Amino acid sequence: MPLVPRISKSSPGLLNATLAFILSLSVTAASAQADKATYAAGEKVFKGNCASCHKPDKDMTGPALKGAKARWEGKGDIHAWIKNSQAVIKSGNPYANELFGKWNKSVMTPNAISDADIDAVLYYVDNFAPPVKAGGGGAAPAAEGPKMGKNTYWQWFLITALILLIVVLSLGGITHQLRNATLEREGKPTEPERSIWGRITNWAWNNKGWASVLGLFIVVWLILLAWDWAFEIGVYGGDKVAHYKPEQPIAFKHALHAGKDNLNINCQYCHSSAEKGRHAGIPSANVCMNCHKAVSEGSTTGTAEIAKIYDAVGWDGKNYTGKEKPIKWIKVHNLPDHVYFSHQQHVSVGKIECQKCHGPVDTEFDVAEQWAPLTMGWCIQCHNETEVQMAGNGYYDEIHRRLTETPMGNKELQKYLEDEKITVRELGGWECAKCHY
Amino acid sequence: MSSTKRYWQDLAELDGTSTVGKGSANEFPAPLAIDEMLADTGLTGATTGRRDFLKFLGFSLSAATLAACETPVIKSIPYVNKPEEITPGVANWYASTYYDGEDFASVLVKTREGRPIHVKGNPRFGINRDPKLNKGSINARINSSVITLYDNERLRGPVQGGAQHGWADADKAIAGELAKISAGGKRIVVLTGTVISPSVKAAIDVFKNKVGGTALAQKSDGLSVQVGSKVEHVQYDTISYAGVTGANAKSFGKRVFPGYDLTKADVLVGVGADFLSNWGSATEHTWQYATRRRPEEVTAAKPMSRHWQFETRMSLTGANADERHAVKPSQVPAVVLALHDAVAKKLGGTTAGASAIDADVDAAIARCADELVAAKGRSLVLCGSNDEGTQVLVNSLNSLLGSYGATIDLANHTWFHQGDDAAVQQLVKDMNAGNVGALLIANVNPAYTLPNAPEFKEGLKKVGLSVSFSGYADETASLCSWIAPDHHWLESWNDFLPKPGRYATAQPTIRPLFDTRQWPESLLKWSGVDTAYHTFIQDTWRNAMPGVTNFTLAWDQSVHDGVAPEYPLVPTAEAFIGNVSEAAAAAKKSAGGAGAWELELYTKEGIGNGLHANNPWLQEMPDPISKATWDNYVCMAPADLMELVGAKGFSDLYIGEQSPAYVVKVTVNGTALELPAIPQPGQAPKTIAVALGYGRGADGERVGRAACLRNDDGSAAPVGQNAYPWTRFADGATRYDAPNVTVEATGRTYPLALTQTQMTAMDRDSVVKETTFTVWALHEPKETYNEVEMLAVHEDVNHDGRIDARDKVPTTEVDLWAKQPVAEVGHRWGMSIDLNSCIGCGACVTACNSENNIPVVGKDQVRRSREMHWLRIDRYYSSDMTHAKGKAEGKGKIERYLEMEVPSAQPKVVFMPMLCQHCNHAPCETVCPVAATTHSNEGLNQMAYNRCIGTRYCANNCPYKVRRFNWFNYVTEDFGQVNPAWDELGRLVLNPDVVVRGRGVIEKCSLCVQQIQAGKLAAKKAGTPVKDGSIETACSAACGTGAIIFGDLNDKTSKVSAQAALERSYHALEEIGVQPNINYLAKVRNTPAEEAHHA
Repeated sequence: MPLVPRISKSSPGLLNATLAFILSLSVTAASAQADKATYAAGEKVFKGNCASCHKPDKDMTGPALKGAKARWEGKGDIHAWIKNSQAVIKSGNPYANELFGKWNKSVMTPNAISDADIDAVLYYVDNFAPPVKAGGGGAAPAAEGPKMGKNTYWQWFLITALILLIVVLSLGGITHQLRNATLEREGKPTEPERSIWGRITNWAWNNKGWASVLGLFIVVWLILLAWDWAFEIGVYGGDKVAHYKPEQPIAFKHALHAGKDNLNINCQYCHSSAEKGRHAGIPSANVCMNCHKAVSEGSTTGTAEIAKIYDAVGWDGKNYTGKEKPIKWIKVHNLPDHVYFSHQQHVSVGKIECQKCHGPVDTEFDVAEQWAPLTMGWCIQCHNETEVQMAGNGYYDEIHRRLTETPMGNKELQKYLEDEKITVRELGGWECAKCHY
Repeated sequence: MSSTKRYWQDLAELDGTSTVGKGSANEFPAPLAIDEMLADTGLTGATTGRRDFLKFLGFSLSAATLAACETPVIKSIPYVNKPEEITPGVANWYASTYYDGEDFASVLVKTREGRPIHVKGNPRFGINRDPKLNKGSINARINSSVITLYDNERLRGPVQGGAQHGWADADKAIAGELAKISAGGKRIVVLTGTVISPSVKAAIDVFKNKVGGTALAQKSDGLSVQVGSKVEHVQYDTISYAGVTGANAKSFGKRVFPGYDLTKADVLVGVGADFLSNWGSATEHTWQYATRRRPEEVTAAKPMSRHWQFETRMSLTGANADERHAVKPSQVPAVVLALHDAVAKKLGGTTAGASAIDADVDAAIARCADELVAAKGRSLVLCGSNDEGTQVLVNSLNSLLGSYGATIDLANHTWFHQGDDAAVQQLVKDMNAGNVGALLIANVNPAYTLPNAPEFKEGLKKVGLSVSFSGYADETASLCSWIAPDHHWLESWNDFLPKPGRYATAQPTIRPLFDTRQWPESLLKWSGVDTAYHTFIQDTWRNAMPGVTNFTLAWDQSVHDGVAPEYPLVPTAEAFIGNVSEAAAAAKKSAGGAGAWELELYTKEGIGNGLHANNPWLQEMPDPISKATWDNYVCMAPADLMELVGAKGFSDLYIGEQSPAYVVKVTVNGTALELPAIPQPGQAPKTIAVALGYGRGADGERVGRAACLRNDDGSAAPVGQNAYPWTRFADGATRYDAPNVTVEATGRTYPLALTQTQMTAMDRDSVVKETTFTVWALHEPKETYNEVEMLAVHEDVNHDGRIDARDKVPTTEVDLWAKQPVAEVGHRWGMSIDLNSCIGCGACVTACNSENNIPVVGKDQVRRSREMHWLRIDRYYSSDMTHAKGKAEGKGKIERYLEMEVPSAQPKVVFMPMLCQHCNHAPCETVCPVAATTHSNEGLNQMAYNRCIGTRYCANNCPYKVRRFNWFNYVTEDFGQVNPAWDELGRLVLNPDVVVRGRGVIEKCSLCVQQIQAGKLAAKKAGTPVKDGSIETACSAACGTGAIIFGDLNDKTSKVSAQAALERSYHALEEIGVQPNINYLAKVRNTPAEEAHHA
């Protein structure tokens, strides 16, 4: 089966640099260095704090922020408003109350950011320039690279094998003719001409020992192949098997939403239960609507896919009609039976990056796919290597105290620390009932 | 030259008459039709040759195999609008209240993604909560009730004449009928169980008002009264307490069931009252009782309570008593009289003319009276008789002892058991006379439970409109013209007033599964009031809480807590105004003439009065005393049973897989039943006891999944037999005893399924240990009662220069294996089980069922000892024979052992919860050939089901016999009759955090490892050490008496490690040195000092 490259080596860095260069040229020369820094700082703060509800140039859950500073001019302190809108509303500011009413009384969460940050954000939104869309095809040809390399390797192998085979056959022919010549000279009947297959069987008949060893070797090799193959039955993902990548009811693009160069939405904004429970969960459609209430048109698929969300939640563009229709996603990550895996444990306590198991979701995945094999071997291999995040956690402080206070505990601790780290395995991460119950 | 010699086998062969050899021509006699088949021309013309056929076969086989290898496509459908409080995979708990007319408890309901899966006591609020332990006491019935929510036999909507209708149709028809009947001037009767809900009462009042045609009059206290309505509300308790409430009316002018405070009772006397199991307000009594039974908590002001019990059968309460005496049901009034007079003589009250019973009991009563008098004001006498005269005497006795205002609280009485048996009997008469126009029945099943059920059924035919609110087409409902099915309690809104000033609320934890409606809402609807019941309750409360400024907040808080803020009243001493001599006369009369045999009817800890008979968990829960499942039976003193069936010895009475029980025929007032008999130590001689609540659905009614099984031909196979026809109505109350019955042997046998077939501990003191309070209080070296098991070693341990049998070390110091590091490292999960606090109720068993998806296997499998319970409660009776005694009498070993198997006629009882002991040196782990059971570094004995290949070596090597093997796939239709989890609906009760095990694997207690993992994770996330008590196993959470404590033994501040260090602490079978992580606390009986030296 063809292997899908795991991480594209090609980087859009150069392209981005070019774009940035073009962008920087478009900005007037007078506002050069300092403004660019403010713009970048503002963009960072905006994306981190505001982007889930606001857009610079379009209304979303909250109003478009472009020109907000001007709108607030003379009506109140925009800094106080951004920091804690409810306080301003309570203070009786008429414009604040008007805004609050206009935006369906949705409460803006208080932001703990400095005045400088606010100024940066306001500068950013006022000078916002939509990024130029990156060309789509750039990454594809480069991705063929490693595949090609591997194919050549196989080809060379085959060519060598063929040459060797030809050599063996022609040498066989030569010896046959030489032997016939000898026999002829001695006046004995010559050996009949045989086909290639006939020659092989003849050789095998005359060299039973070698033939059986070779035969045994081939049989064992075939069995091993079958055995290996059998282990991959029903297993998706990983290095050896094609990644499970079913077609989903909505062509949702992780790379677009979570990609650092794109929207850069935190994984747990949508998969919020990853840090609260066992399941990371597929976000309910109302989470989609937090943004898609405003974004009705996508960059690649236009309105077609987003309309499916609207259909699910019953949004007619202005109101919820109440006609809801659940979205039937196809489950991608199917754990084997009898195992309990907790996202909470790994994300909140183990501080494992999502990408460690789910692959480059944010940079490469257009369609959700299974990246890791999700086999027990894969699980416990990680448990064997990964260090427990003990620092600053009172739970582990207590465990550590118990290890240090008794002779037996000390002995155990010395064992743990032979490799100078305490791994998950050493604290019981290889025990059956940690996952199977 | 060829030989011409011939040999014959016999002469017959020579002359040709022999049959020998004639058959040889016909050696394969069945003529095979091969020739014919091959001759069939059709076959030769077939286009598919044999080889082709094999090819197709091979291809399809491999194709099917390969297709099966592919992982199926699984859909994952998230919420469209996720409710904010739900996180997939995280349980939500809701406070609610359970009340069914029999049991009351404030509970917490665990829901997963919107479906309730587990019920436990509310640890913060409610009358069933132990404020010291912070635990809500519940029983097995309450925590098992969650499963009936998913019973497939529940009605899907209103039913008329077997056909389902919509509510619109039903409402129109019923309301129309009611209007007609009301206009016609006939009575409309609402027959319910005891209603303790203010809103239900209000709804009935609305119904009375609108349908019955009277105006509602508001009294100053907010309650409403009316007279002259055509609607009448009759309350009927399935198990009646009319004698008790009637006596209180006579004695104190209050027709109520009193509130008891067992925490204040130094001396507690039960006369036929099973108050720890079913009598009165048992969920309250249990925790109160336990607070005074823990020797370590004893103070001078609060000594360990002393518990006397006089009773007929061995009840759960009697099994826990310090001193127990068996008396016949007809002697109960005499015992009360004797006790009364003995106390009255000392305290100067009116005597009532007691007469002698028998020497033993008289002597006991005298001692008991002394103790009662000594503990005046700190004592309590409870009597289970439903005879008013007897209960008046009990009231007088308690009054003499100054219990009112102390251990008995009439100001804070309960609102339970308000049923009026006389009114019910009058109703039956009226129905038969054709005076009842309409009968609406809620929460009761009179056609099954009334003593005169046939009469009721006859009368029901003469009632114009009969409506049942039952959720099932049960015995009564199936006879009614309409069934307007009620919600399951987990789908209902409700409010309750169990005691004055103590409001409780119930909230739905799931949307109604079927098209059902709460019955008060139906009443309102038919009264023309179109209010949702939820709104109606809020309105009732809004009126009752006039002082509250923010009602929404107060209401939300009440729903959140499950109770409203309480306003208990000050207990008052009540003046006894009853007539003692009149009561004594009535009591004597009620005893009746003593026949050859006497009968006592009782309700079991499992299915109670029978309304829970459809609950498979409860049917399979072994009775705490008899250990029988799936049946009711006749309890009989072993000596009586031996005599009746002509058994030669006690061993002939053994009931096991291959030894069925004897069937006896019992006739009461001409009604005969043939029931299996169980030898019951402790049963009063010449008495029998039979449990009520069985034999449901005998006429083919669909009363629920497990109440009535089906034979292969579809006919009904009821579980047990109905003994309600043996109850009787006398002196204004239903009576549960019969003074004159006949018992005959039938010569037949019947298989019974017992989970424990042996009776005694065979004088092995390493299993259960016990002592008396006096011995314990001396704090002598604990070895006097809690001996350390020693083992002789090949070392000169005692330094006497020789290596001999005297060189002994404690078994804990000898080991085959290297020491487990868990003893000091990390966590070490363990449990402490106090045999003193454990009353044997079995709530832990069913809680474990619910938490760990334990399959129900049915009677036949239980009989083969294949029950799957991870936790069992072993019950041991004491025996008259011990090794020491036998040796002194010069008896041989075999003779001693045989006699040790026989329990005493009046034995002491010990309950011992037994579960996987999580041995640090577990014998099961070393014998597993595939390492499916291993030890964790937290002290758990782990079980990996997907590794297990089912050799069962581990089960054989387990000294505690706690490993269970899945002989079958219990979640298939083969077990569909009994197993809840086999169908789509029943499966909803499964706990998604625990695997459902398949056939061929061993399973056992995991110490609720799923809870441990969750608890540790919570601690890690919070960045704090695991707080003691934050992790609870299902059994420890369910144990209202605090007998089971779970925690970290390596946490030196934990309760469990404190208990492990107590003098009473020991390990079961310590001598085998397996180092369990479960320790037990020896039982301490509060028996007098002179007995102490025998111990």
